[in-house]
Amino acid sequence: MSHFDQAVSTTAGVNDPAWRSTARSTAFGMFSDDAMPTQDDEIWRYVDLDFVMDDYRPSAGATVDLGDDPLAAHIPNPTVVRVVDGLFVGEDSFAEGFTVMSLDRAAAERSDMVEVALDRSGISADGDIFKAASAAFGGDGVFVHAARGIVAPSVVAIDIQAGSNGTASFPHVVIAAEEHADVSVVVHLRSHVDTEALIVPQFSIAVGDGARISLSLVQNVGYGVRSIGSLHAEIGSDALFRFGEIGLGGRLARLHLDVGLEGRGSAANVVGAYFGEQDQILDYRYFMRHVGTNTRSDMFLKGAVEDDARSVFTGMIRIEESGQKTEAYQTNRNLILSDGASAQSVPNLEILANDVKCGHGSTVGPLDLEQKYYLMSRGLSPDSADRLQVRGFFEEALGKLPHPELATPVREWINRKYETAQAEGRV
Amino acid sequence: MSNALEITNLKARLGDLEILKGINITVPFGEVHALMGPNGSGKSTLTHVLMGNDAYEASGSALVGGIEVMGLPVFERARSGLFEAFQYPTEVPGVSLDDLTVEMIDVADDPSAARTRAEDASQFLGMDRFMDRAINTSLSGGEKKRSEMFQLAVAGPKAAILDEIDSGLDVDAVREVATMVESLRSPSLGVLVITHYSRILRYMNPDRVHVMVDGRVVESGGPEIAERLESEGYAAVR
Repeated sequence: MSHFDQAVSTTAGVNDPAWRSTARSTAFGMFSDDAMPTQDDEIWRYVDLDFVMDDYRPSAGATVDLGDDPLAAHIPNPTVVRVVDGLFVGEDSFAEGFTVMSLDRAAAERSDMVEVALDRSGISADGDIFKAASAAFGGDGVFVHAARGIVAPSVVAIDIQAGSNGTASFPHVVIAAEEHADVSVVVHLRSHVDTEALIVPQFSIAVGDGARISLSLVQNVGYGVRSIGSLHAEIGSDALFRFGEIGLGGRLARLHLDVGLEGRGSAANVVGAYFGEQDQILDYRYFMRHVGTNTRSDMFLKGAVEDDARSVFTGMIRIEESGQKTEAYQTNRNLILSDGASAQSVPNLEILANDVKCGHGSTVGPLDLEQKYYLMSRGLSPDSADRLQVRGFFEEALGKLPHPELATPVREWINRKYETAQAEGRV
Repeated sequence: MSNALEITNLKARLGDLEILKGINITVPFGEVHALMGPNGSGKSTLTHVLMGNDAYEASGSALVGGIEVMGLPVFERARSGLFEAFQYPTEVPGVSLDDLTVEMIDVADDPSAARTRAEDASQFLGMDRFMDRAINTSLSGGEKKRSEMFQLAVAGPKAAILDEIDSGLDVDAVREVATMVESLRSPSLGVLVITHYSRILRYMNPDRVHVMVDGRVVESGGPEIAERLESEGYAAVR
């Protein structure tokens, strides 16, 4: 018998409004029919999923709390909320026109609002077994909503924890900014260093006309955690979505990003920095769809891998016939720091319009020997020269983060990983 | 002579190609020498071989204040007191001149003296607006040379080789660089200025001029050599 039998599933669902329980049972049907994806499936091509859902059991509630979020300490006056094992912990927060609350409660108490947001930027359960599982067994998380014209009074710092060993959790963050609203959210995805768990985080982002949403995601789970995340954003006219992802942790950490530039003049800036070590697999699947005219997007990711780690970046810019006057760029640069490490970088363009500006760049390679020589000619040891070069490599990405205040802790985390790898002779 | 850069019978080859065929040059500390030569004479190779670029197969001796640097790794040569100002300074994206200065001070024999040198040079060369910028990135030719001169000052070497420091500069910048080089004069530093053209030497007072042709030093003497080369060209020494 499966752990993911509906009868013994999660505590989520008790507050479901009708639309949600219908969606839930449909998703459960899909989940029951779904097999694990294989590498024959293009979108999973580079990742061998060496586990099954039943290796985990649904979390039974928030059990372990990791204490104060060290990342939130870098954000001035944040509104801090916590999601542990998929469940919102703590108090909802309300300001004028601005709501931060448990998604489960919001679905029950502000059903229309949540339904509208998810109609726009929900994540379809028929995508794969993880998306189906999330819709079937998940439900809680955080709902952030800013009404028309509201500038959120503070950055929302969401601390998502995978707490309990052996569990699967499905936290869902829904962010909706109505017309001309402005919302800023930092998500820290973390676990205890020894935790073994599956986490399937989902992000649904609805940016109204003329609105702005800035979202940073710092993925810092332990090396025993598999994280299979999805983000779906839809962007209205003259609206801006800024997204930054920092990929540090996870035995397998995947993020499937799907951004729709629907509105005329909409824009998306996507930046990433990742550092893989040991036998980590970091898998980025980024899709940018230009539908409206005069839309702009820029994807810029830099990553390094050492030891036996692997990274994958597959970027796709698709410009629909309607997407005239689009400007779209994608850049992915990778450093290979050990012989056993590897990076795949696959930028793609699909252009159906004829009046666009588009560009992509992709590199995979070791540290630059000329830079090293130059730095050593100044008396720096080979290790110091490499360390400086690795630090410099990430600066360009860190400089583009939607939340500049995160650059300091992130820089420190990355540098520490590299210095440890040097000390242990892995690079 | 331990107060000098002493290059003795230095040879270098790149695969089957013999580039340096036994170079002998001595630059006593306190002096500024110029090494001139036509394109392809081996001037830049000499710089690279002295600094430890491992693309070349090299033999011979190079003493910096009595310390043999041949055979040492690049950073050990630098720490022994040898400095190279690059003809084409390498861009190091994301690493500011300030980051590098901190590291250079860290590895200096006397960090507090190095810090003082950095502060003085920063003021003298007007480096303030460059310190936060990535090394050699988006700088003009003149700004790059200025940055090299600043790093030279921070390193506080015993022997400095300035490789084609006048290349790619307009007349004003050449004069400026020449002034900076003259300002380096010190009893504890020997400077070897490598140049193709004699124009930079108009603004400097080299103690000696060496002429290199086809991997050999064919003539050494006073500044009058540079004047002759300017009027007659390298044909005069071939």
